[in-house]
Amino acid sequence: MKIARARAVARKEVFHILRDPFTLALALLLPLMMVTIFGIAIEFNVQNIKIAVYDGDRTQASRKLIDALGSSRYFLIDRAATQYSAIERVDAERDRAALIIDPKFEYDLLSGRGAEAQLILDGSDNSTVGSIISYFGTMQNLASEKITGEMQRPEVDLVTRFLYNPELNSKWFVVPGLMVVVLAILSILLTSLTVAREWENGSMELLLSTPAEPIEIIIGKLFPYVVLGLGAIAFVYAIARLGFGVPFLGNHLVFLLGSGLFLATYLAQGLLISVAARTQQLSMQIAMMSGFLPSMLLSGFIFPIESMPPFFRILTMLLPARWFMSISRDVFLKGSDLNDLKIPFIALACICSLMVTIAVRRFKRDVEP
Amino acid sequence: MKIKINPTILGFIKKEFSQALRDPRMRMMLFAAPIMQMTLFGIALTSDVKNVRLSFQPRPNDTVLEHVVEHALASKWFISAHTTRMDPFEQVQSDEADVVIVPPPEGLTESIGRGQGRVQILVNASNVIKAQSVEAYIRSILDQVVANDFQRGITAPPIHFDMRILFNPSMETPVFMVPGVMSTLICLITILLTSMSISKEKETGTFEMLVSAPVKIWEIMLGKTLPYVMLGMSNIPLILAVAVFAFGVPMRGNLIILFIAAFFFICTTVAVGTLISVVTKTQQQSMMGGFLFLFPAIQLSGMMFPIENMPLGMKVLAYLNPITYFLEMLRNIMLKGGDSHVILSHLAVLALMAVILTTISYKKFHTTLS
Repeated sequence: MKIARARAVARKEVFHILRDPFTLALALLLPLMMVTIFGIAIEFNVQNIKIAVYDGDRTQASRKLIDALGSSRYFLIDRAATQYSAIERVDAERDRAALIIDPKFEYDLLSGRGAEAQLILDGSDNSTVGSIISYFGTMQNLASEKITGEMQRPEVDLVTRFLYNPELNSKWFVVPGLMVVVLAILSILLTSLTVAREWENGSMELLLSTPAEPIEIIIGKLFPYVVLGLGAIAFVYAIARLGFGVPFLGNHLVFLLGSGLFLATYLAQGLLISVAARTQQLSMQIAMMSGFLPSMLLSGFIFPIESMPPFFRILTMLLPARWFMSISRDVFLKGSDLNDLKIPFIALACICSLMVTIAVRRFKRDVEP
Repeated sequence: MKIKINPTILGFIKKEFSQALRDPRMRMMLFAAPIMQMTLFGIALTSDVKNVRLSFQPRPNDTVLEHVVEHALASKWFISAHTTRMDPFEQVQSDEADVVIVPPPEGLTESIGRGQGRVQILVNASNVIKAQSVEAYIRSILDQVVANDFQRGITAPPIHFDMRILFNPSMETPVFMVPGVMSTLICLITILLTSMSISKEKETGTFEMLVSAPVKIWEIMLGKTLPYVMLGMSNIPLILAVAVFAFGVPMRGNLIILFIAAFFFICTTVAVGTLISVVTKTQQQSMMGGFLFLFPAIQLSGMMFPIENMPLGMKVLAYLNPITYFLEMLRNIMLKGGDSHVILSHLAVLALMAVILTTISYKKFHTTLS
């Protein structure tokens, strides 16, 4: 193998990328956009949820309850004239939940029997149900206190120390995970498409007929994308640190090693896809299904892996994104070192070497006459 | 009414279909992959928190603590952590446990007995959602156990909320996730395929041939897009069948209305794909452009994160997003049986979007060609 020949192929690829400023701009715009949207738009705590309220009691107690709800910034009160119309508003997508206060609310409360209010939730909407339920759980005590004026001191004080993210800042949680998604998109999609393009145009045959060996072609073609990927990482890293103030407690070298392994795995997978598919449309479909969607949905980015059924928990172990996700989060927030992260690193290295071997073999087998 | 099919468009449709479906692998990706994805994500995705690894610092003769741990492990939320270290902080740091209960030195039982009950928990908060749930779980278990052990009777707060969850009373994950996954998959397939198919013609140079052929621009546009509308529509019954038969997601509304809604949505997404392909030159650019649209569109659709929480600018984007309308309509039709006001207004919005997008791409088509 000669470095010079690989470099020549790499140079050609760099020209390809530079000649097409649109793709380059998109490659940089995409991470910027993703980080901005996630950083700004996504808040896991509920706010301004519209709730229909039917007050059948119309007493001081019921008014206090409604005030307590309305004064929290979680809910916007939407008064309904009848019980029926309150529920209908949930049906018509106007409100997310309906609170129905029975006519005997204050009477029951004062008589010491305990008052009950009915809360009807919209079970078709997964994004709010959970948080509304947990909110009303704590509301029970709070509202009781406000209305009756009696403090209820709990028997035990629970002191919770939230390690690594004491203020439960959503951005600290999301942005390190985004690294993984951004890298996944850039590496697997761009490589599979760029190699497939050579097959589609027939220029791959041309490349192969030159003295360059298959391995040199692979290295040359993929190297610019390694740089592009690392550039994107640096970019997201800068936004995370400077824009969102996410702490970075770990070692940069450990993080770089993880990124490198992950990038290599996905580049190899992209190469494998393009060899198998040969056309850009098919490559894109396969890359999307095998690379992008799993890295976003099955990597533990938003949906916790531990909650998945056992079969899927095992399945996620085959995904490089799952391992890099834990490396990225732990290095950022926990400051983990290589020793703490030995399982993710070993797993990632195994998947990486396996994928590279398969990709190179398959590429060689397909091009040799 | 007799419909006369324009032979040019018919020719286009035949060509597009044979091109898209010639490759058996492409056929698989187009029809089998959505079913597979639907199954995969329908089962696997849940935002519930389960199987949290719990560890605790033992104290001699601390029965309350033992009961708390027993209760926790008996619930589906916690499993016992295998720990090799003693220090609670190190247990979390080395990722052996997700949460560690640290009672006071004299033990939880004694401290409560003296009226100064206090217990600390260390929670790994690198996942915010998980950390919040874990705290809430522990708190409720603790209250229960203390009330039991000290015979204080559960001091129920005087106000009680009786919660009823409509449409999905047992909070089944597939019912929550399926409409969202459905809209995403349809969107992915139609937008990317449409835009890439047009830019493929540009890349290979056959586009010039098309333009120089004696066909009208609207015929080219319709001929290139109609097949993808049809492909998208053919995916609907497949995905719907998986949702209903494999996951038992209810289909309470009218099937025909659902198909009409899907048709309007697919027209809009195909129009988005067309617009992208008009602006771009190569398939790679189309793909990236598609992503640039898809990514925010999926995130800002209310599928995973409530739109109400977003800042104003993002809210505006969310309401300019076709997925938002289709998703809400899909949930409404499938789970709530369909509210005519919601359906009509959302259909109107989607139709308007499709018309505007098509007009823009038609004009752009014109200018790029002449």
